[in-house]
Amino acid sequence: MSQPLIQAGTKLLNALSRHSDLIMQAYINGVVDEKEYSKKVLDQLVQLGVLWRPDPQSRLRLKNAVRTLLEGSLQDERSRNIDANIGASIASLKTLAEHYKEALHYQRYAESQAHMSDLTEHVYQLTESLGNSVRLLFGRINNEFGYVSSVEAKIRENELAQEQVSELLNQLEFFRFDELSEVAGSNRELRHLLVVSLQQSFAKAIQELSIVQAKLLDLLGRFREFQGRTRLLKGYLLHVEQQPDFVPSNYTSMTKVPALFNQAQPCIGNAHADLNRIEHEEILQDIVNSLTDIHSRTPQTEKTKAATEISVDEQSSVDLTKDPIRQAVEAYFCEVIDHGQPLSALDYFERESLDFDPEVWIYQIIGDYQALDDNDKQYFAIDTNGQPHPVFNGNFLINDLTLGLR
Amino acid sequence: MMTEQGRVLSLLLSGHFICEVSDEDAWRFLKDRDNQVALEPHLSILNRVLSTSAEGEVFFAGYMTVTDGERKVLAQQFQETASHLVPLVEWLLLVQQASESDRPVTMGSAIRLNELQGVIEDTPAYREQLEKISRFRLFGSTSVNLDGQLKQVFKRLVDIGYLIKPNPEKQIYLATGKVEHLYETIRFIDETESLSLAAQAEASISQGSLI
Repeated sequence: MSQPLIQAGTKLLNALSRHSDLIMQAYINGVVDEKEYSKKVLDQLVQLGVLWRPDPQSRLRLKNAVRTLLEGSLQDERSRNIDANIGASIASLKTLAEHYKEALHYQRYAESQAHMSDLTEHVYQLTESLGNSVRLLFGRINNEFGYVSSVEAKIRENELAQEQVSELLNQLEFFRFDELSEVAGSNRELRHLLVVSLQQSFAKAIQELSIVQAKLLDLLGRFREFQGRTRLLKGYLLHVEQQPDFVPSNYTSMTKVPALFNQAQPCIGNAHADLNRIEHEEILQDIVNSLTDIHSRTPQTEKTKAATEISVDEQSSVDLTKDPIRQAVEAYFCEVIDHGQPLSALDYFERESLDFDPEVWIYQIIGDYQALDDNDKQYFAIDTNGQPHPVFNGNFLINDLTLGLR
Repeated sequence: MMTEQGRVLSLLLSGHFICEVSDEDAWRFLKDRDNQVALEPHLSILNRVLSTSAEGEVFFAGYMTVTDGERKVLAQQFQETASHLVPLVEWLLLVQQASESDRPVTMGSAIRLNELQGVIEDTPAYREQLEKISRFRLFGSTSVNLDGQLKQVFKRLVDIGYLIKPNPEKQIYLATGKVEHLYETIRFIDETESLSLAAQAEASISQGSLI
């Protein structure tokens, strides 16, 4: 037993002994006379669960547990022992109400008062025990039957709780408010006790019990699923153990592959850097910069500096071979210089039977002519032969060229 | 910037299983019927279709039409799945037995590696079981000590998507929807081959109590 629990228990028992006169008075009278005792003491006892207030208007009463304890120990003759049997307690309520009414009728007020306090006690005990049983069930649900470990045990506990709920619901059917209201008649106090207060707790209990029932079913479903899963796993292992060569047939060769085994391969890869996107230039540059930071070569360059040899080999010459077409154009120019006669480009083209496109040939001549420097250009005269375009004004179609010396 | 739709699409096309545990945002996105319809044309271009498992709680991409090429891929995948079944089932049972609550591992179950390790260390039977599990090719542990074996098993399970580790600094793992997919697979095999696995398990339990 844990130390705090022992301490709390000792505190409670001490409080019981310190305020024994108060408690005994409450036991005899049914209620505590709050004027006689300090508020602090009463609050402490309420907190310890010795006294309680059934509703805000009513006076403080002894808790059922303390009362049962006293009843049990004192072997009290006017035993208030009420079992959980709601049917029986309702019957006793009716009987007490009849006593009370009879006493009132014969104007025996003192006696009627005693009956009334008895009746009140019974009513509150009934509501308290109802509330307690519902709370008990809720407590068990909330920790999901945590006091037993295996799922099987939880399922059994759950079934037991369900039985208790249906038992309680059956018991609640004994509440017949039409009968109770008939018993209460026109007496205001009786009506308040038997109809209003009982009905309230009845409605509350019914509502809570239906929640309890739903939760229990929900939990049972979950436990059953756990059980099903565990059995599935264990069964599979057993099966594999008994038939070590067991291989499930290849379901993917069925005409329609089950959706369970139809998983597409990953088909998406990384994108690549596009160096032509100007808007990415900065980002890429940053990346490259950070790369060189990682693979820093600074210490190495110093080393290599000392070791570098200057190569003193002869520079390889660059061979600039000209295009065949440019060579042909050069030959054409030379021909003009040699003969000193103007010469048509196409005539030369045909005579030498060159195999370029004539149009390219003419373009190349114009190009090369334009490429000559001013001094050289002075020696040549170039003349274009052609006609204006028949449709578009200002356009001149060149058919041939004539190159001559100036 | 990629839209949520793009993100989910690329997750699906990279072969991920999407569930509430592995990626809650994507899962919520896919739970919306309109979003599913919007994704359909993108997937169908690539001959893919949105598939679900575990009563619609897990999403993944499947093939729309299965021709020879796809069949080959699927057959290979199935071989792999089938060979993974025994190690995974053994592992699931080990975790269940070693945890105090005796609950099967389901989607969202939290597994505290330290607690599990403590229980396995104290129980020789579990130690042997773990040793056996870690030697399967799926996990491929060569470690001789328990710590290394357990870490390797969990690392592999994270790699193949059965577990996630939400906080890299804490040794707490969460089971993903792929575990549910595994149960479905076993259930499917059970039904198709009429193995009646649950009955077998029950029979063995009652026999065990007689002995």
